[in-house]
Amino acid sequence: MIWLLSGFALPYLAFSQERTLSGKITDANGNALPNVSITLRQGSQGTITDADGKFRLTVPANAVLTISSSGYRTQTIKAEDLTGEIHVKLTEDVAHLDEIVVTGLATSVKRRNLANAVSTISARELSGVAPAQTFDMALEGKIPGAYINSNDGAPGGGISVKLRGVTSVYGNTQPLYVVDGVFVDNTATSAGLNVVTAALANGAATSNANGGTQDNPSSRIADLRAEDIENIEILKGASAAAIYGSKAAAGVVIITTKRGREGRTKISVSQDFGFIKVRKLLGVRQFTAARAASLSSDSATGVALAAEFTEAQSKGQIYDYEKEIFGNTGFARNTSLNISGGNAKTGFYFSAAQRDEGGIVRNTGYSNSSLRLNLDHHITDDIKIGIETNYINSSADRGLTGNDNSGVSLGIALSSTPSFAQLHDSAGVYPNNPFAASNPLQTVALMTNNESVNRFITGLNLDATLQKNSASVTKIIGRGGFDFYNLETNAIFPSILQFQAINKGTSIQGFTRNLNTNYILSLVNTWTPSDRVSLTSSAGLTEETGDYNNILDVATQVISGQTNINQAGALNATQLRTKYQNQGIFIQEEANINEVWMLTGGVRFDRSSNNGDVAKYYVYPKAGLSWNLTKMDFFRSDLFDNIKLRAAYGEANNVPAYGSKFTAFNISNITGNPGLIVNPQEGQPDIKPERQKEFESGIDFSLFKGRLGFELTYYLKNIYDFLMQSNPPSSSGFTSAWANAGNLRNQGVELGMNARLIATKNISWTTSVNFWLNRSLVTQLTIPSVPQGSFGYVLGSFQIQQGKSATQILGLDGTGGVSKLGDAEPAFQMSSYNEITFFNKLSLRFLLHWKQGGQNINLTNLENDFGGTSADYDNVTNKLGVPDGVYRIMQVGTDAHEFVQTASYLRLREIGLYYLFNKLPFEFVKSIQIGLSLNNYLTITKYKSYDPEVSNFGTGFSSGVDVDPYPATKRGDFHISFDF
Amino acid sequence: MKNNIAIFILFGLSIGFSSCKKDYGDLNGATVESFTANASASELNNLVSGTESGLRNNLALYLDDIGIIGREMYHFSASEPRYVTDLLGGGGATLSNSNFYITNPWASRYAVVKNCNILIEAATNSTLITTAQKNGYIGFAQTIKAYQLLMNLNLTDTNGIRIDVSDPSNLGPFVNNAVGLAAISSLLDSAENVFGTAEVVFTLAGFGNYGDAPGLTQFNRALASRVDIYQGNWTAALADLNQSFFSLNGDFNLGVFDVFGTGSGDQLNGFFIPQNQTGELRVAHPSFASDIDSGDDRINKATLRNAVASLDGLSSNRDIWVYTSSTAPVPIVRNEELILIYAEANIQNNDLPDGLTAINIIRSGHNLAAYSGAVTQAALLTEMLYQRRYSLFCEGHRWLDMRRYNLLNNLPLDRPGDQVWTEFPLPVSEQ
Repeated sequence: MIWLLSGFALPYLAFSQERTLSGKITDANGNALPNVSITLRQGSQGTITDADGKFRLTVPANAVLTISSSGYRTQTIKAEDLTGEIHVKLTEDVAHLDEIVVTGLATSVKRRNLANAVSTISARELSGVAPAQTFDMALEGKIPGAYINSNDGAPGGGISVKLRGVTSVYGNTQPLYVVDGVFVDNTATSAGLNVVTAALANGAATSNANGGTQDNPSSRIADLRAEDIENIEILKGASAAAIYGSKAAAGVVIITTKRGREGRTKISVSQDFGFIKVRKLLGVRQFTAARAASLSSDSATGVALAAEFTEAQSKGQIYDYEKEIFGNTGFARNTSLNISGGNAKTGFYFSAAQRDEGGIVRNTGYSNSSLRLNLDHHITDDIKIGIETNYINSSADRGLTGNDNSGVSLGIALSSTPSFAQLHDSAGVYPNNPFAASNPLQTVALMTNNESVNRFITGLNLDATLQKNSASVTKIIGRGGFDFYNLETNAIFPSILQFQAINKGTSIQGFTRNLNTNYILSLVNTWTPSDRVSLTSSAGLTEETGDYNNILDVATQVISGQTNINQAGALNATQLRTKYQNQGIFIQEEANINEVWMLTGGVRFDRSSNNGDVAKYYVYPKAGLSWNLTKMDFFRSDLFDNIKLRAAYGEANNVPAYGSKFTAFNISNITGNPGLIVNPQEGQPDIKPERQKEFESGIDFSLFKGRLGFELTYYLKNIYDFLMQSNPPSSSGFTSAWANAGNLRNQGVELGMNARLIATKNISWTTSVNFWLNRSLVTQLTIPSVPQGSFGYVLGSFQIQQGKSATQILGLDGTGGVSKLGDAEPAFQMSSYNEITFFNKLSLRFLLHWKQGGQNINLTNLENDFGGTSADYDNVTNKLGVPDGVYRIMQVGTDAHEFVQTASYLRLREIGLYYLFNKLPFEFVKSIQIGLSLNNYLTITKYKSYDPEVSNFGTGFSSGVDVDPYPATKRGDFHISFDF
Repeated sequence: MKNNIAIFILFGLSIGFSSCKKDYGDLNGATVESFTANASASELNNLVSGTESGLRNNLALYLDDIGIIGREMYHFSASEPRYVTDLLGGGGATLSNSNFYITNPWASRYAVVKNCNILIEAATNSTLITTAQKNGYIGFAQTIKAYQLLMNLNLTDTNGIRIDVSDPSNLGPFVNNAVGLAAISSLLDSAENVFGTAEVVFTLAGFGNYGDAPGLTQFNRALASRVDIYQGNWTAALADLNQSFFSLNGDFNLGVFDVFGTGSGDQLNGFFIPQNQTGELRVAHPSFASDIDSGDDRINKATLRNAVASLDGLSSNRDIWVYTSSTAPVPIVRNEELILIYAEANIQNNDLPDGLTAINIIRSGHNLAAYSGAVTQAALLTEMLYQRRYSLFCEGHRWLDMRRYNLLNNLPLDRPGDQVWTEFPLPVSEQ
């Protein structure tokens, strides 16, 4: 068919001085390579090869083609050198040296010249092995240098990503997410569950404190669809992210979504079916009549309990309530359709996807629907515009778990409910639970805790060439957009619930409207005076604004069967608004000398409305140097085909939280008289942003003609004036005050190896292995050091102390004093991503993750001991000879060692087996891929709770506190996708 | 041409840029700075209501602290073990200075003190009110401030409190309980002085008939009489009682209360739990029922449960039924306490007949026959303490009374290893 077409095409081309090129791209062994990008060196869309590695492109006769694909060396070929049927063989580049990496707000450079260690995650690594439920879960184990910790297993995500150690204590610890140039919001908004759980026992609607919250909200970055993502670049510290300004101190995650290319319109449909189960249950105590009696100290009650047990046993009514609550199997399905295509001037990418998943607890689950359209158009050869629009609708039902002081969260209620309690309903009427303040079966059946989001993310970009000649090109590049969402949180607790005896029905409705806008406008000039020198200068302006408005209505004494907030006897409302505007000016210069030296230098001036002084511009410089030894004349080696030394330095900042400048009043009304009482947080009128200075250096080299590559990095991050809430003496009337409290340092290494272990015609195995560790140290603290972030020394607490690790855990040590019992920082982490392909059709991919060391504060077991229901309560392994449960309770108040437990794990995070059919008898189906995948199926750990990855306090500073969370899950999926 | 346009655009934007900074102010509420500059009467009234409302913050926890250590009650909670471990000294546990039972009430009381200091400063600086009105605000603020300091001193006793806290960067020193009580007493006296020329233009919610200047003076003296007996100034106590709303034959429940409501921004009575609950409950100590005289109607403050409640080696079969709904008020000071103060002051002054009269008024008010025991100072003091125990059950007095009479050793210990604490440590943030 291709011969025929070229026959028709030739006469046409002879008249218009254009040619149609067609051919095939393979690897060195002759295996076809799909999705290889073929573009013209300046101008139009280009195309990508199909599943058979074939392409077809119409180009001007004098065009120069650039052929590139991830993992392979880029080749540049002149069109006039190609005749007839083209066959190009690409050689491997396991170190990804020709990959284009973003280095500035408008500039990018090849990885072989890059001065920083920038990690990338390809679309295949992100969602091509075992797709996760949400985007943030898909990042786990894939970013070397990061400590990624999942808050719990609740549907809808909720994950903390800390790049290169703790960047801040109470300031922002999460990276900035940029999607196609739009700064997207990642706030976690509480649904006001504190009204019911009283986790923070101060009567407030939310339990927001110390930069975290115990109300288990999801974070908004979970809304994004991993299937739309082309690749992700992670700038891990100020040395790379300096140019991003105010929000970049904790790193930047740059997400690029898929684009359409010139060529035949491709349609791809895929369908996943799967199941979700709990990863591990703790088990329940096996009761006897004697053990039942011992649940109460009062002898009469004991006798009654023993009788209750005996009766239940005789009727066969002993139940494992943990299994009944958490043992549900959720069914998951995900359907997605994407269409992409284009011609020489325009390209489009459209996708529609719908996901619906159940949870391990009945009436919990997650669903997410998304529509996306990316459009690129060349108005002229010199002016290109693009728009990326995305609409997301998601809904998460998250259950009620975690810490509480009212006995209503599922784990806490289960902790005191023995197996002979009778909690089942008869005809929909549930009995009261005599062992706890709530009947967890009733709670699961009747409550609602839903987060629903409608979100629009739209980005616009403009690329216009102002001036072009043989030595210099000047462009104006503009990127910008907005991120708008409406979040409705809906928590309903009908009056019939056992624990609603006082409130008589609670309906908590939250409405949040958030609008973030940003733009980057820059002028970029590339001056190439000779073949050996190229200078890229860029300068520009940026602005980001945010407007967040959250209204939380708590209605109690709700009319039976109703949920509207006016169908209630009492209504309490709170509103929180924040607004900010950040402005920046940046200048950057990059010099590429003979492909040997790459020097960059730049500076950013930044100011923010959140700073104490809103007009002051803070200055953030950056510099970098990379030296390609293999290109030097003196270097002769057949072993090494690339050695690069690099060093980089940069500064970035973290702005103070909104409102930290003011001492405000809170509302405190009494029977209709409106009252004001001073807010316990003292304002600081001259609060400054935190400043981070990072120095990074490393060496990258590859051997054996690119089959083995190493990337070794050392970094030193110093954070000055870190923001912390000091605890002033509460007799001042304040219990917290924002202060620039001191200095903090993180240093660490990241070692990475990429290899093509086997590369024969029929079998290939590529692997990457990463090792990383981080150590933090508080170098100066100007405020008194107090325990914070957990529940006090009795149970183990974090404490920032000069001269000690920032994540240390202190507690009562059994000798009457307080000493260091552990540290949340892992000793090291390793991950390995592997892809083994047989006959170019069958592909096995898996991701292993090993975290060694790092302690959690595990209180889940204590709650179960306290309630007399822990599975190992009656074992006797302690030195006092009493039951283990009793022994552990005895430690409370004298020794906290029991509660600070090592949370090391070796996890097979993702494993997938895929088979590709691409020689099909039907013309219209180009290929079919089927696969099976498992997430989180194998975890080896000694940690004694549901999962070593846990955080009761959300994504803030104190992670790893375990208080009866929503248990972690594992999933298996079947995938089938069709390419038309 | 294209070059020039682009450059002009960028230039224009950067000009607009540099003048375009934004200072959003505090979108979420009023600020202290704006109030202390020049506040109007209605703004000051908001501060007054906020102060009165703040009295209720962590009030249930304060009552729990005094009631549990004083062996009046237990608080069984499935989610908070420290009510039955730390507070009772069970299993070798001690009171920790970083735990909620001291840090929360301490902080709440000082937050109200801060509000009072702001109110005094704002009233003094305001040019929009008369001197008499200023005195109304100042007198109210000083009285409430004294009351709040007293509540914290009750918890920390010899560890003391800070008196002068108006400047957060320069807090006054800790003073021990004797100096503290003296300072509280003189604060009440200066408030009384100011009330002499005051005009009250603010509305209070729980003060009933005592919300005007004369009424507030009576409230002030009622508190002063309590402070007098803590100091052992018996004669001063009797004098202060005469200037308060004390009425020997009056209703026991005349007085000033913390009130609760279901409106927006309001609070419910956190001490209230319905009867016969499981999981979270407040129950009476077994000695309440075992020590009570038969016929005493105050047994109804602790009603029998359907099922015995127990936790961690403790159990009880009686719910606390002092506050019987979620909007039931909690007394700040009421006539029944004043009658008992009258009794105590007279007995201590060896005026036994007057003391006995008061005792008998209490007894007959609760369905008991007149006192028939020995009429000696020691026996009458014991009888007075019995009456205080049952009349002021779960109102935040028992532990304090036992402590000031050195009778903490007489309180029952339920489990081996339990202890009766004498005082709370200072919160860790005060070190």
